[in-house]
Amino acid sequence: MSIINRLKSLFKGDNEKEEADINTDVSNTSDDVEVISSQIEKEPVVTEAEPVAEAEEAAVEESEDSVEDLASDDIDPVEEKVETIKEEIHEKVEAKKEEIHEKVETIKEEIHEKVEAEKDAKEAEENSNDKDKERDNMTLLTDKELLNDSNRDPDFTAEFIDAGIETVKHCFQCGTCSGSCPSGRRTPYKVRQIVRKCLLGLKEEVITDDALWMCTTCYTCQERCLRSVKIVEIIKKARNIAAHAGYMAKPHKMTGVFVMNTGHGVPINDATKALRTKIGLPEIPPTTHAYPEALEEVQKICKLTGFDELIGYDEATGGLKE
Amino acid sequence: MEIAYFLGCIMNNRYPGIEKATRKLFEALDIELKDMEGASCCPAPGVFGSFDEETWATIAARNLTLAEDMGADIMTECNGCFGSLFECNHILKENEEKKAEINKNLAEIGREFKGTIDVKHFAQILRDDVGYEKLASLIEKPLDLNVAVHYGCHFLKPTKTIGIEDNAENPSILDDLVEITGAKSVDYKDKMMCCGAGGGLRSRDLDVTTSFTKEKLDHMTEAGVDAIVNVCPFCHLQFDQGQTEVNERYGTDFAIPVFHLAQLYGLAMGLSAEELTFDAQKIDATPAIKKALGE
Repeated sequence: MSIINRLKSLFKGDNEKEEADINTDVSNTSDDVEVISSQIEKEPVVTEAEPVAEAEEAAVEESEDSVEDLASDDIDPVEEKVETIKEEIHEKVEAKKEEIHEKVETIKEEIHEKVEAEKDAKEAEENSNDKDKERDNMTLLTDKELLNDSNRDPDFTAEFIDAGIETVKHCFQCGTCSGSCPSGRRTPYKVRQIVRKCLLGLKEEVITDDALWMCTTCYTCQERCLRSVKIVEIIKKARNIAAHAGYMAKPHKMTGVFVMNTGHGVPINDATKALRTKIGLPEIPPTTHAYPEALEEVQKICKLTGFDELIGYDEATGGLKE
Repeated sequence: MEIAYFLGCIMNNRYPGIEKATRKLFEALDIELKDMEGASCCPAPGVFGSFDEETWATIAARNLTLAEDMGADIMTECNGCFGSLFECNHILKENEEKKAEINKNLAEIGREFKGTIDVKHFAQILRDDVGYEKLASLIEKPLDLNVAVHYGCHFLKPTKTIGIEDNAENPSILDDLVEITGAKSVDYKDKMMCCGAGGGLRSRDLDVTTSFTKEKLDHMTEAGVDAIVNVCPFCHLQFDQGQTEVNERYGTDFAIPVFHLAQLYGLAMGLSAEELTFDAQKIDATPAIKKALGE
């Protein structure tokens, strides 16, 4: 905003623009600083604007009176006098303008200084003068965040090694897996981090995190892994451990129920039976659907391995317990 | 040649047109598909494999013993089934300790895993056992169709154990098989990305799954394709049923019909849309079929 415009607005008693301008200068500071600046701003500017307007009015009135007084005199001297008065008025107005401008500038400086002081005070509060502490705040983990042996469960890591996934140890955390992961683009699933946590033995963090189940087992990570880490095997093993610890979603348990009841994860329905007949296929496919003794074999396997207990299968209802 | 035909769940219990097309195709190729009577769910690698490895391996091994009894290699046209059955077969063949542990369970139902057969994917058999020339001879009228090929995840990967000759990051097997029918495979952004259904995600968190699917559909739409071609009934379901779920969630109007590779061959061999059960799919395939057949 130019000085002329600023003054125009001051004469109009319209100091909102001015305020906005100054506030923009300090917009990076916190709200409370802005509140202070607007308070400082409003009071002096408003009170200064009024005397200016009064001074102008007074000056104009004065000149009008003088012109009237001189009306009866000769024209030339009158004109001269009018000119002189005009000049005087002009000078007075200019002087007043200058005075106001200076005051505005002073106020601006004061605001600026106050804002800067507030800023410094805040920074000083946030970052202590102690350089070590300052560095801690910026990049280093605090003792509270650092992991130590008490966070680790070596048995958890051993489960991966025992399952033949020794490659979990080969990961050098390059992040190619996460960078390739279609699920990582849309969910909180961070495959690189999970692999690291499995190696470190951070069992609880791994198995309680729902993100573990966001992997579609697409193998893109494993294909691209520079260290041939069997990443999908790691994820599946971690899921096995999670499932056995009770972290299994109901729809997943239901897929297990379907297999226990029919031998199929997606059993046949009436619509498909009709379709099959229509196109000349046997109504029931030659699977466990058509061979009850085969279904019994599948059910026996599920009891043998404890899968029925794992999903909470209720034999009486053919559904889930609870 | 005889093959133990593993059905799985979604193909036979939701999209039987895929099964119909496959039976017709192998009849024309003079390869006998023998039913694995009493086979169960593979079981799903992302669900059972994520809960209890022992249960997963024992159920999968039971399915493998059915084919061993038949003396035939297994064919599956579902990536999930392929992932489970191939992996279990591989582990038990390589790891004596594991084999002993699983056989102890199988003994309780009078079975034993011997390690005498291989597990193969439908597309792998078409390329490596049948060959492109023989396939091309079956095509009655080349299809006029631009398609987005979706490979899915548990087909070529993990490459270190699967061993289907190709490049998992930039493969060609499915594009080649599609183009034999006359259809054109159109490249699109992030072609190798997952459909979002696997790993138990579809049943657990449909919002995340549809977010994957939407990203794929956006990229397929940008490429201007008439249809999606896949080799996995679960991906098939995710693009068909899942496409309506994307439209509900995002207020979009995607309408890209979904073909399993077997259905594409069925169409090229003269099977009707009804025989291929396209009329029962969520996304209307009529415009794509009309274009493909030049009607």
